[in-house]
Amino acid sequence: MLALDLLVNGLIYGCFYALMAVGLAMIFGVLKIVNFAHGEFFMIGAYTYVLISLKLGVSPWLALPAAALAGALLGWLVERLLMRPLYQGYASWGFMKDEYAVVVTFGLSLLLINLVDKTVGPYSFQGPPLVDIGRFPLGPVMLTGQKAIAALVAVALMVALALFIKRSVWGLQIQAVAQNRLGASLAGIDSTRTTSLIFVVSGVLAALSGALLAPLVNPSPDVGTFPAIKSYVIVVLGGMGSIWGAMIAALILGVSEAFFSVYVSYDYRDAFGLIILIAVLLLRPEGLLGEKGRTV
Amino acid sequence: MSAGRLWPERLRFDLAATLVLCAALAIVPIFVQSPYTLGIILVSVYFAIIALAWNLLAGYAGQFSLAPAAFAMLGAYTTALLDHYWHVPLVVGIPAAIVSTALLGWVLGKLVLNLSGPYLALTTLAFAEIARVVIGNSYEFTRGDQGMHVATLTQSRVGYYYIFLVTLLAVIALLYVLLRGRLGRFMMAIRDDPVGASSRGIDVVRTKSIAFCVSCALCGLAGSLYGTFSQLVSPELGLLQQTGLVLSMVVIGGMSTLTGSLLGALLVYLSSEWLRGFGNVQIIVFALLVILFARYLPGGLWGLVAGRLRPAAKR
Repeated sequence: MLALDLLVNGLIYGCFYALMAVGLAMIFGVLKIVNFAHGEFFMIGAYTYVLISLKLGVSPWLALPAAALAGALLGWLVERLLMRPLYQGYASWGFMKDEYAVVVTFGLSLLLINLVDKTVGPYSFQGPPLVDIGRFPLGPVMLTGQKAIAALVAVALMVALALFIKRSVWGLQIQAVAQNRLGASLAGIDSTRTTSLIFVVSGVLAALSGALLAPLVNPSPDVGTFPAIKSYVIVVLGGMGSIWGAMIAALILGVSEAFFSVYVSYDYRDAFGLIILIAVLLLRPEGLLGEKGRTV
Repeated sequence: MSAGRLWPERLRFDLAATLVLCAALAIVPIFVQSPYTLGIILVSVYFAIIALAWNLLAGYAGQFSLAPAAFAMLGAYTTALLDHYWHVPLVVGIPAAIVSTALLGWVLGKLVLNLSGPYLALTTLAFAEIARVVIGNSYEFTRGDQGMHVATLTQSRVGYYYIFLVTLLAVIALLYVLLRGRLGRFMMAIRDDPVGASSRGIDVVRTKSIAFCVSCALCGLAGSLYGTFSQLVSPELGLLQQTGLVLSMVVIGGMSTLTGSLLGALLVYLSSEWLRGFGNVQIIVFALLVILFARYLPGGLWGLVAGRLRPAAKR
């Protein structure tokens, strides 16, 4: 029953990937940029969770909202300080919009990694689990308590996000701004505030993903690098800017990676997603559920 | 001054400024006796070559690749593998690195031909990471993360210093000739308006491919030389952080100018060695500077200085 075990574990990792990738897809949807500092949102969440629960001795369940708060704050700051020029009449001499975004988010990523490395230390932490249940079998599948609980929280978050986007006024505003910024502002939507909201939501989701995975991955300052690269693969696979595409693609990537690492090669598991990324961009650039228009 | 003369004029000023910097570098060994310090300046020249190469692609042709460090690594490994398995002498091994990275750059250029902005950045990033993961994991073939030993051209550090300096001058001369001619103007036209450029009959495909080819080959050359200097190549040469360093050099120095890249590489690398004394804060400082420069001073340091030295050099 190895296959079933792989399937379930792949789906669980897919849920965590989805938490990160959806935020990236939302940011791409409104600003048409890739946030290269997205892995550091994840890292900040993981560190907030670990440090608060270890150093302050607070229950991990309270550390979770603290991580979300840290992610929200970081997302808000990034948008307020760095992203405004992208849509508020910044005379782009010397820099084009895409290049500006690559440079500042890439720089921010380096800044945050090294800031944490310097202030907290380069070693990794063992995050405290949310529940103290070791390995247990669920039918033919082996799980740990932390994995099961974290996956449940992740699924609950995804459902909440889906309802938020589909039903709430803010969710509708986000959809409107993603479709047409000018049109949305003509209809009376404050597109600046909506963009801000998108960064806050993305920050929260990525930080929570980091916090939930902290007991499993033992965060070190560069812990966000691989989750970030996976979410680039996911947003490309799902169609850049498509929220639902990102959710589906995250599950697909989680499962196929689990199978790849067992049946093909464990050493090259991290290259697998990247090969998918290049293949999708070359063969089906609009992704699974994406929009057209990524070529010049 | 007619508009047609403006660009050669500005480029000549740019070249003159880079030559002044190179002249200053050339007399450094007279004053600096310590091999350690000389080694640091040498590494900054290595980064200057990569920064110039990346600037050709990103600053002049508008193709924002995130793979320069990966190409330096690939160039270094070409020479190292040839030396290790077939004992190919370095006079063949180093040109072989140029050829192999030029070919790979041409392939990458073909792959990303139709991709713009963020897609281009993502694809080149994926390419760079795949290259690093493959080299790092092929233990039997490349000895993985342990790295490989390479032969060296000369044991003399001053000798190596001048090898790097001559290479730097050759690269600057090549870029000058390229940018002055039609090809350079085509690249800038494509950067500023790809659709407009192709509607005026510019072969966008060919021009982009050439830009990738040349830029990647120069990175490969720099990497290959660096490998023979340090006598050890490892996948660390291709780390994304190295690309970040190159990017910050060009942005801090000033995009789309030769002097900016050279100045940026020298300043960033030398001051990073100096900042090391204050407890490894160098990357924090540079990352912060990159963000601030991109946000408030897109012309970079050289943009500031050139504006003062020569008001006509303003955009």
